[in-house]
Amino acid sequence: MKDSRLTRKVLDRLREHEISEKDVLIHSPVDLSLDGNYIKGFIVVTEDKVIILEADLPRDTVHLFRNAENPEMTPEEDLCEYDVRIYDEDKLAHIRLDVYVGSNVLTGSYEGEDVIIACFTNRYQEQMNVLYRKLKGALHGNELEAEEQSEPEDIEIGEKKNKRTIFGRTLKYFLKYKILVFLLVITYTVNGVINIAWPYLIGKVLFDHVLEKDKAFLDSFGLGENILIALLVVAVVMIVVRFTQALSNYLQIFFMARLSSTAIRDIKNDVFDAMSKLSLNFFVNKQTGGLMTRVLSDSDRVRNFFIDGLPMIFVHGITIVSTFIVMFNLNWKMALISCILLPLLVFMTVKLRPGLWILSGKRHRAEKAVSSKANDNLTGARVVKAFGQQDEELKGFEGPTANLKNAEIDIAKLRNRFEILYKMVQEVSGIWIWIVGVFFVLQTHEIELGVLITFVGYVMQLNGPMNFFSWIFRMWADSINSAERLFEIMDAIPEIQEAKDPVRLEKPKGVIELTDVTFGYRVGRPVLKELNIKINEGEMLGIVGRSGAGKSTLVNLISRLYDVNEGSIKIDGTDIRDLSLTDLRRNVAMVSQDTYIFMGSVAKNIAYGNENASRADIIRAAKLASAHEFISNLPDGYDTIIGASGKDLSGGEKQRISIARAILADPKILILDEATASVDTQTEKAIQYSLNYLVKGRTTLSIAHRLSTLRNADRLIVIDGGRIVEEGTEEELRRIDGGIYKTLLDLQNKSLSLQTEF
Amino acid sequence: MRKEERGKNMSDNTINIYEKKAAEMTATNIIDPEDVFSKTPGGFLSLDRGGEHYERVRVIRLFPFSDADRFLSVRDHGNGDKEIGIIEDLNAMPEKSKKLIKEQLKLSYFTPVIEKIYGIKDEYGYAYFHVLTDKGECKFAISMGSNAVTKLSDTRLIINDVDENRFEIRDVDKLTKKERRMLDLFL
Repeated sequence: MKDSRLTRKVLDRLREHEISEKDVLIHSPVDLSLDGNYIKGFIVVTEDKVIILEADLPRDTVHLFRNAENPEMTPEEDLCEYDVRIYDEDKLAHIRLDVYVGSNVLTGSYEGEDVIIACFTNRYQEQMNVLYRKLKGALHGNELEAEEQSEPEDIEIGEKKNKRTIFGRTLKYFLKYKILVFLLVITYTVNGVINIAWPYLIGKVLFDHVLEKDKAFLDSFGLGENILIALLVVAVVMIVVRFTQALSNYLQIFFMARLSSTAIRDIKNDVFDAMSKLSLNFFVNKQTGGLMTRVLSDSDRVRNFFIDGLPMIFVHGITIVSTFIVMFNLNWKMALISCILLPLLVFMTVKLRPGLWILSGKRHRAEKAVSSKANDNLTGARVVKAFGQQDEELKGFEGPTANLKNAEIDIAKLRNRFEILYKMVQEVSGIWIWIVGVFFVLQTHEIELGVLITFVGYVMQLNGPMNFFSWIFRMWADSINSAERLFEIMDAIPEIQEAKDPVRLEKPKGVIELTDVTFGYRVGRPVLKELNIKINEGEMLGIVGRSGAGKSTLVNLISRLYDVNEGSIKIDGTDIRDLSLTDLRRNVAMVSQDTYIFMGSVAKNIAYGNENASRADIIRAAKLASAHEFISNLPDGYDTIIGASGKDLSGGEKQRISIARAILADPKILILDEATASVDTQTEKAIQYSLNYLVKGRTTLSIAHRLSTLRNADRLIVIDGGRIVEEGTEEELRRIDGGIYKTLLDLQNKSLSLQTEF
Repeated sequence: MRKEERGKNMSDNTINIYEKKAAEMTATNIIDPEDVFSKTPGGFLSLDRGGEHYERVRVIRLFPFSDADRFLSVRDHGNGDKEIGIIEDLNAMPEKSKKLIKEQLKLSYFTPVIEKIYGIKDEYGYAYFHVLTDKGECKFAISMGSNAVTKLSDTRLIINDVDENRFEIRDVDKLTKKERRMLDLFL
């Protein structure tokens, strides 16, 4: 991004205040004025000063945001007159970055007075965040170091954007199957040749040569006088030709079905493969449901074009060209006259088609609205009934269905109009050829009846290909866009990437060390701030904190579902970013609050990620997880199918299955994220018992709201506001007066005693 | 025995504090026209209410789309940014307060309104917008994969660019036919 560099004007202004370029330790652009207008500006931090430069922009400035095409702007071109505000760092305190809906504001107190330092849009959030943290560190007495600023890059698009590349890349999926493609080409060629020959056969040959008893022609086939046999031969040839065409059509469809389904299967496999490698963030940002339909409908559209469209471009193209050549060779005057009305047809389709597309797009969206509304209602049927909203929901359904009805009617209306008009022009052009042709035949004797019939045949035959070319470009664009989207998924670079030469984790000890870990799901909103902790081998660490304090985030980082923004996490002294992902995931198992049950048998669910487990192992794991009892009582025991379409398990049962899964996985590091959240007290006791077995010899991180669960922890930490605020053994924490842990404990004990009193 | 009792008392106290806090948290305070908003020299909004002075308050819209000027939450600065109270109707506030609050809202809900669309180009998963807004001409890009365009109603759109900068189209019907056709992709 060119505009984040300091411009010459800025440097000039700084020099007026006796600040040279090398005094600048860190800077960032800002782009909003306090009264909410776009401006051009910079915030510059030196060793002892914070300087704000702001300039109004002329009214006609084009404001460019990230990824918008950026014209090269050299620092010399900046003509703005900057206003300068200077803050001394030793009078500045309590700076804070407020993130609002559409803007960000850097505030602080200067000489004891609260001031607004600068405003900016989300465009510069990343750079400002770095600056903010540095500045804050400096105000707290840390050394402020100049630093190479890594500027946020535009999202890489580059050459992939090229439509031709996308086309070529898609084509490769099809061309891979050479034999099928070759066979297809043959069938298309056969069809094409027959298309050209047919009108000639019934027109010129049948009428002019055979019926006219053209002696020379008949003699050349050795048929001489015998007109009946000649007629018979023509008939047989016609039948054979038609039969061949039918056969080749049949084969064509057959080959096409094969080719298209295999090629599309390959594409879908590649997409799915790429998707499974992507990090959680991708799925969080894209909503999974929409993603699936998109992949399916996009690959359909790609197939449609490459199978129905692309080959036909050649076939129809050749048909048109060769038809014209044959026509002009037969009689150029006649050819010219017959083609006179063709442009009108082309014009009509070009003019009227777009309307149809818009309408069909509308219908498509209306359909989608209806089905999503229906889906919404059916999945939420329980709530709808419980609140007695059936009638209201029915009314809510009327809107989308009415829209769909109207869209259908509109499209039918336009299509009717279009088709009637089109057919009419077609008929008129046919009649026109007959009239002119008959005139030619009768008056000038320039052509014969057979030629005329051939001509009519050709012109009629041209309609199809002409029509085809009027919409194929649209189809091309659509399919390229779809392919683009598919490739986008394939090319998306997973945020969590395995290192080039990953370190294997053969016999892990399970020592976890977090150094200055800072992380947020969104830029500028850190959930964890500069966290430091070391967890020893075999230690059980309890994590306590309010909901939303960052507990689950912390454990997600350790199993590397996300990467830290700053700082590092080490297992046995190796940064987890350098570890092999398979090893990491095998050695870190998580029993989390949202349990996931796959479609399949109970046994398969327990043995997930551990296919080699024996039946005895599975039963043992289930027993340890206190799951054996309820599983044995299921009608099909361990073979009961559970998951989406199978038997519904209760929350506690699912949780016990996921505990069994973790027991079977036998990891060195175990993460329990509210593992007993959705079970009753009695089951909890049982699970607690099995967990006690489970944590032995493992490094365990356990998150729990019910503090009794953490009684066995070697150490506890309390997280609040993204930081560790209390740390120590249970006893130590209990002794901190006014501490969070103590208050929580008192509260829980109180409510517990209330329960027992009842 | 006594020791235990003292412990019990202490924990009772904490419980009481928590109950009080819970009561505070669940109570709805209404800020009425008598409460005075003013502007600090540093440019912040301050509030005097019931004998208490809040030096820096922040106003948040609770229904930013459907009812922008009613039900505004006024929050303290620091101290967990606790809610001081709710303004039920901004227009019922005295002129001066109203003006100051509106100023603050304008900045924190900074959303240029698109008045004219020069072009939308859809390429490789991104759509590139070139528009005229009430804040000037803008070029920005949105990601097609995520839900960058939010439909507030049949005619009102909020568009988020790749950095989540917001742009608004107040009324699609007021655009020309050509502009609407460009937008068709998102409608």
